[in-house]
Amino acid sequence: MTVLPVAALARTRRALGELMAPHRALLAATAAALVLASVAMLVVPPLLGRIVDAVIDRGAAGLVDGLALAILAALLARAVFSALGSVLVARLGEQVLAALRERVVRRALDVPLADVERAGTGDLLQRVGGDISVISEGVRRAIPTVVISLLDVGLTLVGLTVLDWRLALAGLTPLPIWVLVSRWYARASGRLYAAERLAEGERTQSLLAGVGGAATVRAFRRRGAQLARIDRRSRVAVDASLAAAHAERKFGLAMNGAELVGVLAILVTGFLLVRADAVTVGAATAAALYFLRLFDPIGVMLYLLDEAQSAGAALARLVGVADMPAPPAPLHPRTPAHAGVRLRGIRHAYDGGPEVLHGVDLEIAPGERVAVVGTSGAGKTTLGAVLAGVHRPTAGTVEIGGVGLDEIADLRRHVALVTQEVHVFAGTVADNLRLARPGATDDELTAALRAVEAPLALTDVVGDGDGGELSATRAQQLALARLVLADPAVAVLDEATAEAGSAGARTLERAAAAALAGRTAVVIAHRLTQAATADRVVVLDKGRIVEAGRHDELVAAGGHYADLWSAWAAPRSR
Amino acid sequence: MDRATAGDVLRRAASARPRDLVVAAVLVSVHQLAEAAVPVAVGWVIDLGVVGRDSGALLRWLGVVTAVFAVLATSAYFGYYLAARTERLAAHRVRMDVVSRVLHPAGGAPGRPGELVSTAGADADRAGEVCTVVVGGVAALTALAGGAVVLLDASVVLGLVVLGGVPLVLLASRLLARPLVGRAEAEQESLAAATAVATDVVTGLRVIKGIGGEDAADASYRAASRAALRARLAAAKWAGGYLGATNAITGLFLVVVAWVAGRLALDGTISVGELVAGVGLAQFLIGPLERLTELGAVLAGARGAARRTAAVLAAPPAVTAGTGVLPARPAGTLRVRLPDGPALEVAAGEHVGVVTLQAADAARLLDALARDADAPVELDGTDLRGVALDEARRAVLVARHEATLFEGTVADTTGRDPAPLAAAAADEVVDTLPAGLDSDVGERGRTLSGGQRQRLGLARALAEDPAVLVLHDPTTAVDAATEHRIADGVATLRAGRTTVVVASSPALLARCDRVLVVDGGAVVASGSHAELIADPRYRQAVLA
Repeated sequence: MTVLPVAALARTRRALGELMAPHRALLAATAAALVLASVAMLVVPPLLGRIVDAVIDRGAAGLVDGLALAILAALLARAVFSALGSVLVARLGEQVLAALRERVVRRALDVPLADVERAGTGDLLQRVGGDISVISEGVRRAIPTVVISLLDVGLTLVGLTVLDWRLALAGLTPLPIWVLVSRWYARASGRLYAAERLAEGERTQSLLAGVGGAATVRAFRRRGAQLARIDRRSRVAVDASLAAAHAERKFGLAMNGAELVGVLAILVTGFLLVRADAVTVGAATAAALYFLRLFDPIGVMLYLLDEAQSAGAALARLVGVADMPAPPAPLHPRTPAHAGVRLRGIRHAYDGGPEVLHGVDLEIAPGERVAVVGTSGAGKTTLGAVLAGVHRPTAGTVEIGGVGLDEIADLRRHVALVTQEVHVFAGTVADNLRLARPGATDDELTAALRAVEAPLALTDVVGDGDGGELSATRAQQLALARLVLADPAVAVLDEATAEAGSAGARTLERAAAAALAGRTAVVIAHRLTQAATADRVVVLDKGRIVEAGRHDELVAAGGHYADLWSAWAAPRSR
Repeated sequence: MDRATAGDVLRRAASARPRDLVVAAVLVSVHQLAEAAVPVAVGWVIDLGVVGRDSGALLRWLGVVTAVFAVLATSAYFGYYLAARTERLAAHRVRMDVVSRVLHPAGGAPGRPGELVSTAGADADRAGEVCTVVVGGVAALTALAGGAVVLLDASVVLGLVVLGGVPLVLLASRLLARPLVGRAEAEQESLAAATAVATDVVTGLRVIKGIGGEDAADASYRAASRAALRARLAAAKWAGGYLGATNAITGLFLVVVAWVAGRLALDGTISVGELVAGVGLAQFLIGPLERLTELGAVLAGARGAARRTAAVLAAPPAVTAGTGVLPARPAGTLRVRLPDGPALEVAAGEHVGVVTLQAADAARLLDALARDADAPVELDGTDLRGVALDEARRAVLVARHEATLFEGTVADTTGRDPAPLAAAAADEVVDTLPAGLDSDVGERGRTLSGGQRQRLGLARALAEDPAVLVLHDPTTAVDAATEHRIADGVATLRAGRTTVVVASSPALLARCDRVLVVDGGAVVASGSHAELIADPRYRQAVLA
């Protein structure tokens, strides 16, 4: 399976630059605050060292008091600047992230559906959900911490150099270990955490099938098999999680080793320098304190490297979506002259797969209602999607009112598609309806609900989350009410009445009739009663139109449609 | 576990690996003490080696530093890994307890499927964290005690300043943190809300694009995203303020310790090494105390999860299990007498259709037949309430409309016998699959269309070949021609075997020997499909 595009590293960097460009002043202020915070912290160990020196030299009590006050001042400055820095980092990061996520969702809405479906909606869902959360977490925790730690480490080395350059060199002895270990860990942990997430995903999957399907498990007495499967999946997830924990421990072990090397080097160097009278005991103490203080920021920084890495990977995936080309607006937009539809030589294949439509020609008069019927897999849904401009045919043209779909400005004002998917958006019924016409008044919304006989109130909360679950019938009525509001000249209804049971189906047939009144309509029918009442029936078989005509003509002709009809009608007649 | 409480669940989690838990707690405690010993040992190196310019003492004390690091590294390596392992295995134990209860033949686990999945998933993980609380708590207390001993040994005054100051620092930062909690939650919520809108938009992308709702969907996401941004920026201000305030308080504390220690060292009360160690320990001790208070929150989370888990484990069974057995091949005479529901009598080998005018009647009937509810159902004169549950379900199989497909291949689901596959028109489905019978049915059968799933589910039920098969709306998602084929196939395959079809499909009902119409808990009409077609209620329910 292909996936949605992922931006290359250079492009991701450039995109990040573009996103930050409007906030240059903020960026400068952030950097300044963070540097000041690090510098303030830097003066503390030498001051503590001076206290040690004062003690050894039997200095005045006032000197110790003064040094303590100086430390206090430095620490307060640190507090103020680190607070300021963290607020500024958040401002910068969050504004950039908000701009990016809005751009991604906008682009996801604009790109052709086929581009999204080729990769599976799951990929896009992962990007607008998981990836944005990963970056958001990164902006909240990893990035500020890594930046502050980096500054602390860098400036501490500066501080060591100020004390004595040889102490700084001693402090750098663990550097090779840090580099090697962090490179290994970033690589290993990325793989291990991915494996852990995968194993947990599979565990959830088996819980959904086993626990979610408990009634089926009971009926088919598959308890043992399901328990064994879940136990296995859960243990695999435990093992994956422990493999990651083990890598983390190995990382910790290596870090401890690096710390030991550094501490020994600093202490030995300090001793030699003190013996040679090159530095004071206070300076050697300060160096040791500096180095002990480095443990935390270095550990945190190297530890967060993989989090920063995954934020980077998520960013590349988001930029990839944001950069997807949106279909161009028509150069010379035209308005259809009438509500007639003409399909010529339509062929379609999904992405190099087998062709599902093999040259369909169909002409529909303005206001005519055409039912498309056929067995599953005949290509009915594809034909509807091509007609509505959701999929671009591989060959052939679709015209509404004499104008090709590509040239129509604001296509959805002329043709709309109600799919067999009944998705109810979380929110009120009114929110759901305004999707089709944002500016509609409450009265217009109520009128649309009344037209499709939906007993729903505008303020009812529906959809995932806190909303009550709508029945399939109500959800389809909502979709038909949207169609009423969108008010296109041409409407395509794809099996909009399936899966509702027979009582629901009758309600929906009435609702569909009301929603289609006055429009050119293509109804992809599953229940043949809808075909019986259409102006014309088109029978699709294996991607070709094999019959077309009025219901009674086709029944009399004794072909494909007559067979379908007798299977449908025989048990229904006396 | 009958009458399980949250405490029981946590105890059971903690005792999944009792010896590992104890060893982990000891090792992590040792690690904490070793961390505390690092500044102390460094202080001694300076005191005895550097100040005295004594290379012999230097080497000896460097040896001590190395030894401290060796202990620190080893105990951390094994201790934290062991702690992680006990936690994961405890979670696994709780998870399997929950799953085992949910899948119990007697049923009765409360809550919607999604909630149960989350209890077996996230809540089990949370309950396992009780191990972290035990290990972390023991270690933090040990570190505090160790630090106290070292400091008090050096100087009672310095020790009291540090030990008195640390809780004060902590208390102050907890008080400061309080207004942050609500804000952080609001921020989380608004971010989650924005993500929910984005997910909703992508899930409903076809719908949006079909109706031209791109701009409206974009506007609603933008509004949610901006609300999240506002909440985040507000929270960041508070978080920044909190960070500044706690840094200031900790800083003040460290300065006081350094100042007191400096004065004491100046007086000669303590050595330079003790000065260094005192400042180092003051910094170190904030860590364990902070962890101790954080563990309170973890424990609260684990308790909440354990409470939800206990509610599942302690739920009473939906039905009482019998112990009786049935003959290997029961004849299949069925008699159902629901207290305020329909009475049903089906002869052995008969095919009966049931049309319910009200959905509640169908649900009650199916629950009784599936033994998901205690009701008088007799098979060949034996009351199924006295029969073991699996035994009863082997004889009377209810294939519900909302049945799920299990993970695995098609053959795992339906078996390899071509007859039931053909009867359910599932052979056509198998033909379209890349690996035929060995194809994976995918996540909850999601790679298949609704109609394909339905046919595989029906084939699975037919392959079981039970004495009595109850089919509930088995063909709602298939086209008319296929439905016709299935109606023929089922009637032929099940010839001579008792079959009850609860459905409103005329194609299926026309193939039944007899159809019962049930309304308001009573059979209101019966006869063949052809006879009943004159009944207006029947026409209303069945013919559209």
